[in-house]
Amino acid sequence: MRGVVTYMKRDFLKWSRGRVAVISALVMPAAWLIFVGLALPVKFTGNYLDFITPGILVMTMLSAGLSGGALLMFDKILGFLNKFLALPTPRGSILVGKILFITGRGLIQTTIILVIALLIGATLISPIQYALTYIILFLFGVLISAFATTIALYLDDHDSYSAFSTMISMPLFFTSSALMPYSVMPGWLATIAHLNPLSFAIDAVRDVTAGGLPVVPLLVLLGLTVVVMGICVQVFRKVTV
Amino acid sequence: MNAIETHDLTKYYDTLCAVDHLTLSVNNEIFGLLGPNGSGKTTTVLMLTTLLHPTEGSAMVCGNDIIDKAEAVRSCISYVPQDMAVDIKLTGRENVRFFADLYGVSHASDRVDEVLAVMELTDRADDLIKTYSGGMRRRLELAQALVHEPSVLFLDEPTIGLDVAARKKIWEHIRALRKKGMTIFVTTHYMDEADQFCDRVGIISKGKIAALGSPTDLKARLMKDVITVRVDGECTPPTIDGVVFVGRSGDEVSFTAENGSEALPVLADMLARSGVTIRAMSLREPTLDDVFLQAVGQQEEPHGFEDGKFRIMLRRRK
Repeated sequence: MRGVVTYMKRDFLKWSRGRVAVISALVMPAAWLIFVGLALPVKFTGNYLDFITPGILVMTMLSAGLSGGALLMFDKILGFLNKFLALPTPRGSILVGKILFITGRGLIQTTIILVIALLIGATLISPIQYALTYIILFLFGVLISAFATTIALYLDDHDSYSAFSTMISMPLFFTSSALMPYSVMPGWLATIAHLNPLSFAIDAVRDVTAGGLPVVPLLVLLGLTVVVMGICVQVFRKVTV
Repeated sequence: MNAIETHDLTKYYDTLCAVDHLTLSVNNEIFGLLGPNGSGKTTTVLMLTTLLHPTEGSAMVCGNDIIDKAEAVRSCISYVPQDMAVDIKLTGRENVRFFADLYGVSHASDRVDEVLAVMELTDRADDLIKTYSGGMRRRLELAQALVHEPSVLFLDEPTIGLDVAARKKIWEHIRALRKKGMTIFVTTHYMDEADQFCDRVGIISKGKIAALGSPTDLKARLMKDVITVRVDGECTPPTIDGVVFVGRSGDEVSFTAENGSEALPVLADMLARSGVTIRAMSLREPTLDDVFLQAVGQQEEPHGFEDGKFRIMLRRRK
């Protein structure tokens, strides 16, 4: 679609000039990786770092998506959206460009986290396994950024949105399979974790790392992404006439 | 074919009527839409720029219907909204290039250089917008709007928040564009600017056109002289032959008179006799302010309608 690349280029350029934001987004997942991945004494696996890395990669994508959700809302509040809507460029490319930017930025951040994980002792996997991992992270990124963008456009208020994203990010992470396998979870937590969309992504990445091809989680993720993207397009249409 | 043609254009926000059966045609001129806050200026512009669907009526911009041929409308216009929206972390050149790419302009980098030069921003083109003044940011927005050579330019309050010199510069640029054959549709609160720079103005009040014509005609229609009286407290305007009550704004009461210097003492006498304390009186030629006051009536903030409705309207306008 015409305009998608141009809109993405604008966001990447803006992002690359905000030095603090580029670094700060990486601190949290890196800290988890180092302080929890290396230090937590667990008994269910010999290499906890290898176990937790998929969880941290998905978590990085989650926080990249949630923090990016506010971008389109800001474009709207600050008057950019009105200028863009008056352009002959297809209006859908505004939304697609934004979601691809948020996802792309998330992929860059997860790559850095992945490199850190390898440096501190995670096991190297094959190129095909990495490619599959990236496909899963990409799908999950589109899912989360479309979801976050929808909520932000719907709430239409920065304070409410940041309260919302703070409210859901930690619970989503802790009720997923990021930190421990289902077998060691209490029963109630295992039930919630099985329904958590984060777990689908995390389990899929773990499955890939173990040499499998996670067809079902991939299809579930794809289905969810299509549905959420559809809702997102509807909300976007509504706010733009 | 006129550049802008509206027929009974109407917009309701729920039950609040923002624009009421507006019929207008604008062609190859600087047209100023004037009106108090909340009178429907921005709503009109949003409809004409295809950002808002009218409830009723129709409009054509460059010969294209704003609903059926919205994309064709968008490719022949440019719209600069009221809130200054330029990316402060990008340079002037990057900001303009971004729009050139979105419009799909051919020979983009030459065209970008050209519009930056027209807006006198060449020297600062590679500086971040952070370092630009308000007037420069507004000129940069004009450069963005001009990059694809639109035939109609919509400017919503182009000089709001700018100092006198910057305003004058913006208007000079607008005039230069008009000379090149562009149609410019401006909304503004500033009567003196409209008086000086617009070829034709429409005064809109409660969604309806209350007066339409060139500033000179409108002033001439208001008879010869304007008498302004500053009073304390209530004032019932007296009836005197040849003196017409115009309106009241704050403690100033305005009248028009065919022969101002003769009417002045009579009016002073009558007012004093009816118990009004006169603080000051003045006599002058009419300005567009007087036309505005007469067309719109008493200048009131729109607190008459419900707060909830007003908020709905503001939200939709974003």
